[in-house]
Formats: sequence, structure tokens, C-alpha cells
Amino acid sequence: MEKMKLMLVDDEERFLSSIAKLLSKKGIDAVTATSGAEAIEKLKRQTIHVVILDVKMPGMDGNETLVEIKKLFPMVEVIMLTGHATVEFAVDGLKSGATDYLMKPIGIDDLIQKAEEAFEKRQRLEEKIRMAQARK
Amino acid sequence: MKGNHYKTIRKIILVSMILVPLIPFLMILGIGYYYFTTSLESSTITRMKRIVEDHGQMIESFLSERKADLDLVIHSNRYEDLIQPEKIAEIFEHLQRNSNAFVDLGVFNQDGIHVAYHGAFKLTGKVYKEVDWFQNVLKQGYYISDIFLGYRQIPHFIIAVAREAEGKKWVLRATIDSFMFNNLVKRVRIGKTGEAYILNADGVLQTERRSGGDLMTKPPDDIQYPAANSGIKSFINTDAKGEKYLFTTTWLKEKKWLLVVRQEKADVFQAPRSATYLIILIMILGGTGIIAVAFFMCNRIVRRLQEVDLEKEHLGQQLIRASRFAELGEMAAGFAHEINNPLQIIKNEQSLIEMNLAELKENGQLKPSESLAEMEDSIDQIKLQISRCADITQGILKFGRQTEYVLQDIDFRNFVPEVIALVEKKAAVHGIRLKQTLSEDTPLIHGDPSQLQQVLLNLFNNAIDAVVERHGSHGGEMEIESGPVDNLKVKILVKDNGCGISLQNSNKIFTPFFTTKPVGKGTGLGLSVCYGIIDNLGGTINVSSEKGHGTTFTIILPAAG
Repeated sequence: MEKMKLMLVDDEERFLSSIAKLLSKKGIDAVTATSGAEAIEKLKRQTIHVVILDVKMPGMDGNETLVEIKKLFPMVEVIMLTGHATVEFAVDGLKSGATDYLMKPIGIDDLIQKAEEAFEKRQRLEEKIRMAQARK
Repeated sequence: MKGNHYKTIRKIILVSMILVPLIPFLMILGIGYYYFTTSLESSTITRMKRIVEDHGQMIESFLSERKADLDLVIHSNRYEDLIQPEKIAEIFEHLQRNSNAFVDLGVFNQDGIHVAYHGAFKLTGKVYKEVDWFQNVLKQGYYISDIFLGYRQIPHFIIAVAREAEGKKWVLRATIDSFMFNNLVKRVRIGKTGEAYILNADGVLQTERRSGGDLMTKPPDDIQYPAANSGIKSFINTDAKGEKYLFTTTWLKEKKWLLVVRQEKADVFQAPRSATYLIILIMILGGTGIIAVAFFMCNRIVRRLQEVDLEKEHLGQQLIRASRFAELGEMAAGFAHEINNPLQIIKNEQSLIEMNLAELKENGQLKPSESLAEMEDSIDQIKLQISRCADITQGILKFGRQTEYVLQDIDFRNFVPEVIALVEKKAAVHGIRLKQTLSEDTPLIHGDPSQLQQVLLNLFNNAIDAVVERHGSHGGEMEIESGPVDNLKVKILVKDNGCGISLQNSNKIFTPFFTTKPVGKGTGLGLSVCYGIIDNLGGTINVSSEKGHGTTFTIILPAAG
């Protein structure tokens, strides 16, 4: 089975480094990006299954980045992460194609669980696509 | 400044409220009074004139009748017969029967010698040739004298007629009972001071005057009487004593006498004067009434105005407070948001430390020791505190959030039992009796069920805590009531018999972060979140509590529709 490739996007570098370390300890490979633009650059160069995207970032914010990612890489699952979880924000994000919504501060285990749920969803989708192509 | 403003308003209202009714009121009274008194005065004067006319005619006819009596006698008897004492006595008796005004009767020859006499005095033989009346009667054929004393030295007046026949001239003279004549004139009696009297051409009294003034005296009044033949006159003049009188006069035709009827002006115009008093009384009462009502109404209006202004001010202050509250909510939300990022990092670091520590222990690089246990305890504590912080920030965000909630009609009669079901177990554990009084006519409200659920749960949980604090696990009571305030509002009461809230605390309980619970137990956001939710729905939430007896929360919400 394919291993989940995770990308974390947040403007806080210390958050990225500590969470990357935690994830690697849990046996998950994580790529990090400190801005939306960097995230899109990295997506272009390597295969990423799940993106955990901070909503509030300088420059290109989470929602804009989400729209861009969904446009360029529709298969990528995106989980939004924010310090301010409001229903309307969540509805906006989910309408733009986010898989889920997470509220800071979140424990590493919850994060991994959500990421894996998203990964499984993607895998099921890929499976369906494969099967559809095979039927042709 | 403000006080002056009220004073000015008060003055304007007062002046207009007094003047607007008072001016027409006084005008009506004045005009009414004027027309009433003038018509009354003119009718009084008319009445007086009629009395004078009637009376004058009566006196005149008395005099002309007496003259006619004598004329009849002198023309129906010869001189020779008349001078017989028996005859004159007989004639006198006859005249007396006709009118008892005659006192005596005498016959004079043309030389003025009293040739025959019947009466109380011995006047026979006296010579009157040079006397005024005798010369006048010869000249005019008849004569009525003024009152005079004559030989007998008592006031009297005479009527004399003359006849010329068979070359002889003779005169018949009668004395009139002045007492009777006096009574005839004096009979007039009008009001209290009305009186009648007769003056001769020189202004000498011919009859007595009731108010004083003897016969043959000149009244001391300085009065210009109207000229002869001027008909009936009415005028007001002042007599010697300074009293104002209404005089009505007429000249008698038979004799140059002036009949005067006079009455004190105050007496004449008694009725108008009574009317004046009445009108003054009405004016005072009416005026006082108008002024009193004006003052009363004015005070009421100004007081109401002040109240309204005060309410306005109060409302303004509330508005400021509300906007500051909203600002605070927004600020708190921003603040909570910013705190969540560092919290996330701390949480990460804590997890990392925990993991590393676990790894080290597993590898046997760390031996279990007291320090290690302490360190692990500290890490646990950090974890706990992070989650506490997270709770607080979540609470703030919920309080401050301006979310689009799902509005729907909520029926409290179904909704409350659903919420109660969530706390029933907890209440039962603490031995709390739950009571629901949900009025059948509780109107529907329009709101977000999850928010209202949060509000009710919050109040229930607080109530349970309060009840437990006071009663332990026995004797607690909680009640929820719902019902209409009017058709436009719904009232929800949450009562408990718990420990209550002190007065100074009850002012603060809706303030964010205010809590009376021990550190670590409450965030102090529950009621402020409730406040935010109810406020968003356009309602109010209030608390009334007595320390040690219980607390009642009252929520008023606008009804749906």
C-alpha cells in the first residue's frame, strides 16, 4: 500500500518543524511550506496526498491557496486548520473543496487521524477512477 | 443648561395653557356682564320713569278733581246762597263725602273779605285783598297754592276758584289736608331707599321726604332740576350726604310742582351689583380652576418630558455599553485567534517532549527516578493547562462569533423537555427535583435551536452547581417556566433554590471571564455567551437572586412572526 505523503502549510516555522518531527516519529513523511505559493511550487514537483493548510497566512491566505490547489491538483485532499473555527468559515472552505476542518490547538493524534481519513478517502477515489478506466 | 431648558418649556406651556382659555373666558364674562347690566339698568330706569309718570298722573288727577269739585260748587250756587253758614256747612259735608281731603271751605267777596267759612278756625271777616293767592285767583279764575302757614300757622295749601255773575265777583276756597296729600305722594316706595316728594318752583319741599326733609324746607342737595315742561327725566346725582341717587322727575301740569322720585343708586342697581359679585366669584373660581389645571397639566407634561429624556439618556448609555460590549467581543475573538497559534506550537512542543521522553525511557536511557516522575507530572500539567487555555479561547470565539445560524421556529413546549433530558441524569444524581411549567399559550420563537440549547444548558448547569453548593444531594429544586408576556414576547424563567448570587456579583455575571467558581472549574464565559446569544436574538436576559435563597434567570425573547 502506498504511503501517505503529507504537506503542512503554515507561516509559523516552529510549528512546521515541531509537527514535522512529531509526524516523522509517528512514521509519517511530511513536507512543509511556509506560504501558499511555496506549497503550490512543492505540489508541482512531488506527489502529495494530503495538505494541511493554515487559514490565516500573510500573502496568499488559506482559502485562496485552497482554491488554487483544487484548481491545479484536484485529487489532493486539503484539511483546513485555523485558530478561529466558525461555521461560516467552515462552510466556505468546504464549498471550495476542503475535506475537513480542524481547530487549533489540535493534538498530534487527532491530526494524524484526520489526515489518514482524508488519505483513505483519496485512495478510495483513486480506486474508483482506476476501476472506471479498467472497464473502458 | 438642561434645567433652564425645562424652565423655558414649562413657562411656554404654562403661559399658553393659562392665557388661551383665560382670555376668551374673561371676554365672555365681560361682554355678558356689560350686556346684562346695561339691559338691567335701562329696564330699571324705564320702570322708574313709569312709576313717576303714573304717580304724577295720579297727583294731577287728584288736584284737578278737587278743583272740579270746587268749580261745580261755585257754578251751581248763587253768591247769596253760598254765604249762608248753613249752606256752606251743607256743601262742605257734601264735599267731604266725595273726598275727605278737604279741611275747610270759605267764601270771599271781591274785596277779599272772608264772608263765609266752615272749618276749625275762626277766619270769618279776615281780609285777603292784598294776599297773593287772592289776587291770582281773581286774575286766573283758579289757583292752587304752595304749602304755606297762613293765619293758622300750620302748613297747608289751598285750592281756590272765582266766579263772576250779576256784576259781582266771588271766590270759593278750600284747604286741602296736607297730611293726606303728603301720604298720597309718600305712598311711593321702591326698594329700600326709593321715595317720592314734591318740590315747588323754588325747590321748597311740598311734601315730607322719608329720608329726611320737613315740609317747607329746602333740601340741602345741590341739584340742577330739569327745566319746566321737559317731560320725564332721569339722572344720577349726589345728594348733600354724598350718596349717589337715581333721580326721576316730572313737572306737574296742574301746578308748577316737580314730582321727584329718587332711589339710592346702590339700591337701584342692586341686581346688577349682585350679578357683579356673582361674576367676580365665577371669575375667581374659573380663573383659579384654569390656573390650577394649567399648573397641574404643565407639571405633568414637564415631568413626563423629563422622564422621557431620562429614558433616552439611559437608552443612549445602554447603547454605548452594548457597542462597547460588541467591540470587546470582537477584540476578544481576535485575541483568542492569535492565542491559538502559540497554543498549537506549545502543544506540539509538549507532545514532542513527551514522545522523546517516552523514547528515552524505552531505550533505557532514563531510569525511573523522582525527578523523572516530577518532570512527567509537569508535562501532564502543561497539557492540562493548554487544554484549559483552549477551552477559554473556544469560549471567547463562541461568544464573539457573528455566525449565520440556522433560524427556525422553536416551540418551547417541545424544546425544553429535550434540553431537560440532557441534564436529567445529572440532576437526579444530585437529588434535584426538576419542575417544568410550560404554559399552553407560550408563543413560538424564531432562533437557532443549538444556540438556545447552549443557553438553557448553561443555565441548568449553573443552577445545578448552585443547588449542590447549598443543599448537597438533598432538597434541591429547579424549575423552568415559559409563557407569554404579551402577544409579542415570550418569557422563560429558570429558577433554582441554590446558594444565590450576591448583589455586587449579580451585576457582573454577564461580563466575560467573571466567575465565582474555583479556579479551573469555570472559564467565566458561559453566561456571557448566553448574553451574546440572547442579545443577538433581540431578547434580554436578567437575573434576580437572593444570597442563600435561590436565583431566577428571566429571559425575554421576541415571539416569532
